[in-house]
Amino acid sequence: MFDYILRRLVYTLITLFAVASILFVLFRMLPGEATMQVISPAMDPAVQERMKAAFGLDLPIWQQYFIYLQNLVTLEWGRSFVSAQEVTSVIAYRFWNTLLLMLTGLCLTLTVGIGCGIWMAWRRNGPLDVGGTIVGLIFQAAPPFITGLLLLMVLSYRLGLFPTGGMYPPGQRPDSLLELLIMPAFWERIVLPTITVGAYYLATPMLVMRDSMLEVLGSDYIELAKAKGLKPRIVMFRHAARNALLGVVTLASIMVGFAVGGQVVVESLFSWPGMGQLMVESAAAHDYPVAQGTFLMLAILVIGLNFLTDILYCYLDPRIKVSNTGLT
Amino acid sequence: MAGVAAVSGLPSLAHAAGKPVESMTLLTANAGFDPVRPEMGRLITQACKKIGWDVKLAAEDYNMGIGKVFNEKDFDMFIVRWTGRANRIDPETFTAMMHHRDGNYNKWGYNNSRVNELSDAQQVEMDPQKRRDLVLQIQETIYNDAASSPIVYPSMTNAYREDKLKGVVPQVGEGIGSLWTDIAATTSTSDGYIRTGQTSPLKNLNPVSVTDSNEFKELRMIYDRLLQVGPDGSIEPWAATAIKAVDSTTVDITLREGMTFHDGQPVTPADVKFTFDYHKQWKAPFFISSLEKFESVTITGKNTLRIKLTAPHAPLMINFFAQIFILPQHIWKDIPEKVNVDDVLKFANENPIGSGPFKFDYWDRGKELKVSANKSHFRAPKCAGIIRVTYGSHDAMAAAIEAGECDRTRYILKPALVEDLNKINGIVGKGYSSHGWYGFMFNHLRGPLQDPIFRAAIDHVVPRDVIQAVVMSGFADKGGSVIAPANEFWHNASLKARPSSTKKAREILAAAGYSWDSSDRLHYPA
Repeated sequence: MFDYILRRLVYTLITLFAVASILFVLFRMLPGEATMQVISPAMDPAVQERMKAAFGLDLPIWQQYFIYLQNLVTLEWGRSFVSAQEVTSVIAYRFWNTLLLMLTGLCLTLTVGIGCGIWMAWRRNGPLDVGGTIVGLIFQAAPPFITGLLLLMVLSYRLGLFPTGGMYPPGQRPDSLLELLIMPAFWERIVLPTITVGAYYLATPMLVMRDSMLEVLGSDYIELAKAKGLKPRIVMFRHAARNALLGVVTLASIMVGFAVGGQVVVESLFSWPGMGQLMVESAAAHDYPVAQGTFLMLAILVIGLNFLTDILYCYLDPRIKVSNTGLT
Repeated sequence: MAGVAAVSGLPSLAHAAGKPVESMTLLTANAGFDPVRPEMGRLITQACKKIGWDVKLAAEDYNMGIGKVFNEKDFDMFIVRWTGRANRIDPETFTAMMHHRDGNYNKWGYNNSRVNELSDAQQVEMDPQKRRDLVLQIQETIYNDAASSPIVYPSMTNAYREDKLKGVVPQVGEGIGSLWTDIAATTSTSDGYIRTGQTSPLKNLNPVSVTDSNEFKELRMIYDRLLQVGPDGSIEPWAATAIKAVDSTTVDITLREGMTFHDGQPVTPADVKFTFDYHKQWKAPFFISSLEKFESVTITGKNTLRIKLTAPHAPLMINFFAQIFILPQHIWKDIPEKVNVDDVLKFANENPIGSGPFKFDYWDRGKELKVSANKSHFRAPKCAGIIRVTYGSHDAMAAAIEAGECDRTRYILKPALVEDLNKINGIVGKGYSSHGWYGFMFNHLRGPLQDPIFRAAIDHVVPRDVIQAVVMSGFADKGGSVIAPANEFWHNASLKARPSSTKKAREILAAAGYSWDSSDRLHYPA
């Protein structure tokens, strides 16, 4: 087991190194000068050189690359070209904002999705199964900005039931995360983006759970459980659903990664200052340190969660054995 | 019929005599950046086809386009918005910087000896009336040369809650997002803070590294300047009660007495001298070219200073004294050493202390900035403070105004949304005059664009009526001179927009010897 974890850890680190290197190259391939957004290109060339020198952009690329790798290892991710703030502090703040939004959205989608998936499989081909599949696929096919915009138009602009956006009322910034979480205005503001995120991702866990359940429901041990005269609810939840969860667990870890990085539209629509917005802002502004940092953070999250999932698999499914070559 | 070389005096075009005028590309930012520009571009390219000239439209990423124009100089024509920034009230930007042979903006190769001479002369002419005469002549020469083609002068489209906000003071080029509104307006919201919406996030709070008008607009609430550009574009005393030109290279500054920084320390001439020296020492990007003209700064009295310049420099008043922020010496003398960075440009200044009309409360990057009224300021704000909120889009900001969550816009709101908001009770949506303009710019080193007669003809095909009425929803005036009518003092009122007329354009071209083949394709003069 230890050998397995160690090997997985090494693979994870190699993957992260590759991602970090690709990110470095990708951002330098962006069209336009890095200083263009920070300083008018019409200004004196000497001024532009001054800006480049201040942020080390006058060094050869290979030298910038090694400094970048060194900074990654020492967790000194540099300062934003645009705001001069430390990248880690900028990302940390935005990361928590996104995480709050995504966790509530994913909690909603996983709870509803898994629950519906179980029932849809149990009542296969029934109205719930057919209706649930259609609704889930409609939400997945509809871009989040359509769902979000509709929610905003109806529930916010027309009926005035919810605020139009932001995390808290203007001018009332909470001093701590706890203060934010106990602020009713925060929960009023998170409802619509949560529903938007939840609806968009709903189909995936719902249909995966349904398929896994159908597979499990055809197993001999389920027949045996039924033959033993166990109550349908116990068969469904204790025997079928628990074993069908494996696929959703893998999926959930991947969904978290994508959800954190993929909510540019939702964050823009609801003026939510999260990672998605930061990615767009920093990439558009050629703010290399912040852009690299946000994408790297996302990569760490996805790869890290995959690593944890592999380990969790062993715990959830005792049939899985660990051999020298990995999982069998 | 006269050939190209004879008509325009451009031997470089002689080789093209009689040949078809080559196809060219009009570059604009894409609709994601500015929905107006590709629309203007589409209308202009269609209009060019009507005179037998094939022009293709390339709507590209803004950064890429800017790079092509300013760094690579690889473009035929482009559409740009020259925004009405406060410092552009001074004619320097639209005359010398854009049209002098050596102007920093002039990446399009325009070179007219008369414009060069007049631009040089206006820079050193310290008498405003005499300078104005020179500036009027420059505009006329640029206009006759069709060096740049102002398409329209767009209004500053803003919206505000009339039922909550009283006493807004629009400023030329800034509308109701001005500092004058910040200090004069009151709001009926329970806490007295004016919620101000903006779609671009605030990027930086460092007054030394600031270059963007977005940041200038927020920092000027916290830091005082020596002068301010007034609501009508004139210069108004601020921290300096007087700035007098003793002679063409000597300027005396009298500092207002009794001013204090937000931490209670007095504002002294030593702080002002330190500010100039510090900006010069660290080559502050926005001010570096002005500061190069400073020979010395001397404290001459309890509240007076004298600046000696290396040469006369007329734009100094607006471009420097009305822009630079006064730094507290007792704080900045230790920066960057004390904050563990090697360059002041890397200093985030997360707790700015100035002497301005508002005190800093907090900045939540990506979301909002909150400042509170400095009631001991000589122009103490009437409101309790300003909360600048960043919205994800124009639509989100308009919705927030409609819902009563936002009191006013700081910057441009899409014209169509302004129209919609204006129909709602309690909301005013309108366009305020601005000295900025949308420009149709030419690469003077390429093909027919080298010929001023050709450029003048092209200026005639720009469908200004349609652009004004449809693309700009009426929130614009047709463009003529490079200095807009809103900039009353410097504008040359005799220069009107060339009427949109394909017929007139064809007449001009025909008179210059251009011709059309059987498929109506435009040819150079034989």
